[in-house]
Amino acid sequence: MTAIALRMTGADFLKLRRKRWLVLLSLFLTLGILVIVYLVTVIQHASNPGAHGPAGGTKNFSDGMRVLALFFGPLAAILIGVEAGTGDASAGVFRDLVVTGRSRLALFATRVPAALALCWTVILAGFALLLIGSIVFASNLPTPSTSLILNGLGFTLLATGVLCVIAVCFASFTTSRPGAIVTLIAWQVVASPLIASISSLGSARKGILSQAIIHFSPVSVEGRRGAQVAMSQGTALLVLIVWLVVFLALGAWRTRTMDA
Amino acid sequence: MPTPSNDPATSESPLAIETHGLTKRFGERTALDGIDLRVPRASAFGFLGPNGAGKTTIIRTLLGLTSANSGTMEVLGHPMPLEGAQALQRVGAIVEEPRFHMHLTGRENLRLIAAVRGPEVYDRIDPALARVGLSERAGEKVKSYSMGMRQRLGVARCLLADPLLLILDEPTNGLDPGGIQEFREMIRAMVEQEGRTVFISSHLLDEVERTCDAAAIVDRGKIITQGTIAELAGGGVARHELVLGVDDVERALGTLDVSELVLEAHRSDEGIRVVLAGEPDSAAAVNALLVNAGVGVARLEPVRHSLEQRFQRFLEITARLDEAPVDSPGSSTREEVRS
Repeated sequence: MTAIALRMTGADFLKLRRKRWLVLLSLFLTLGILVIVYLVTVIQHASNPGAHGPAGGTKNFSDGMRVLALFFGPLAAILIGVEAGTGDASAGVFRDLVVTGRSRLALFATRVPAALALCWTVILAGFALLLIGSIVFASNLPTPSTSLILNGLGFTLLATGVLCVIAVCFASFTTSRPGAIVTLIAWQVVASPLIASISSLGSARKGILSQAIIHFSPVSVEGRRGAQVAMSQGTALLVLIVWLVVFLALGAWRTRTMDA
Repeated sequence: MPTPSNDPATSESPLAIETHGLTKRFGERTALDGIDLRVPRASAFGFLGPNGAGKTTIIRTLLGLTSANSGTMEVLGHPMPLEGAQALQRVGAIVEEPRFHMHLTGRENLRLIAAVRGPEVYDRIDPALARVGLSERAGEKVKSYSMGMRQRLGVARCLLADPLLLILDEPTNGLDPGGIQEFREMIRAMVEQEGRTVFISSHLLDEVERTCDAAAIVDRGKIITQGTIAELAGGGVARHELVLGVDDVERALGTLDVSELVLEAHRSDEGIRVVLAGEPDSAAAVNALLVNAGVGVARLEPVRHSLEQRFQRFLEITARLDEAPVDSPGSSTREEVRS
């Protein structure tokens, strides 16, 4: 990155991190939900250890990682990405950025790392809490291995990062904050699992983004988010790349050609 | 940032803005219809017209915010949009109302623009805030600013470009009378002391007349006329007129008709209306001429044409042109109106 690109990314990051509601909501989705889960399971375990196991350990770490990487993390990623994609246009300052003479593609391109920076910051906070909880509350259960922790971290960052980038691009394309949020969440939470569960669609389901992402999960998620579609690692990677390239192209094209 | 070879400041064009046949259509509607505009450098230029005349559209087109359907345009000597990046480095603009990220402070909003414009621009933030009188409030969120403060912050944002050309769209909207006066003085200082060009679109005739050196009048996407304020107020060339009250109208007219001091003299409701051949100070010579001819002069008053009078007349003319029949090219109505 050039110095100017770093400054522009820093400026975009400033816009995002100073949106109090966005940061608080994202932290709630990543940290807050985990805090609630730990509180409930710790209390349950304390009140009836026979019926409820400890809140920590490898299994709870895996469950928490699935929640973070595949449900609440993507929700936070979508909110952050959409805000990054539509913030300038909805505030009416996109035209003021355009009249600086700076390339519109550069204006679009710096949104992506800025959104990823905030997204991964809140995701890392959630992951850190998950890791600490799985060790502190493990009691007599085995704690997650270094390999699982690293693979889980990589998977969580991949799953949320891809969603975040696609949210930036889709929001830049639609320029509508509510429209982009509703569409992306509906696709991610409702449509994708539903389509993936329609077995008659066969290998066409390999094109579903969430199925390609799940392929990289270090723990089994079968039965959690629709039927998992078998595919090779190469295919999964190709699906991710195609989704990213298509959405990056759409977002860049729209930003370059729209009336400011 | 600009190198000496492509710095707009080195452009030799005497015009800050020049357009030829600029046309912009939105579907069936023609918003700009063959606009030919020439804005000289180091002047305050008014772009005057009623709401919906196409003022904002031409600004958006000039700045590359929307594309033109046909025609050519140059900004600071650079063809747009081909060399837009070079031209816009030294252009500051407020399009419609100034908009900001409301959740950020005034200073942070300027830092966003500085990040996009280049590292040297950061040093201009504090001077720009001081220039518009916002230094003390720069740390507050913009959502707490009044409309007038936002307008001033918008000007500060323009100043970050160290602009050779400022383009301001209805800049006095939301300003109180004191703010308007301050704004007017700031514009004049930018033009007269710093040699900047200021292009102001406005529907306020008085504002343009008081602030600008030259103006173009636009209506329904067409430029009706352009020139210096004096020329526009005088009807194409600077005209200096007098109203005379005399004791002998016939003798006065006879004297004035043969004088080289006078282009034209005729009766009017007020007495005699005289168009001077020279500058306004020749009114004293006219007075002496009449007195020497034995005419008693009870009243001698210069006529001040206001831009508003001319503007209203232009609008009436264009309305009549639109209503005049078009089937006969030599139609007397159209010829009369055109004349």
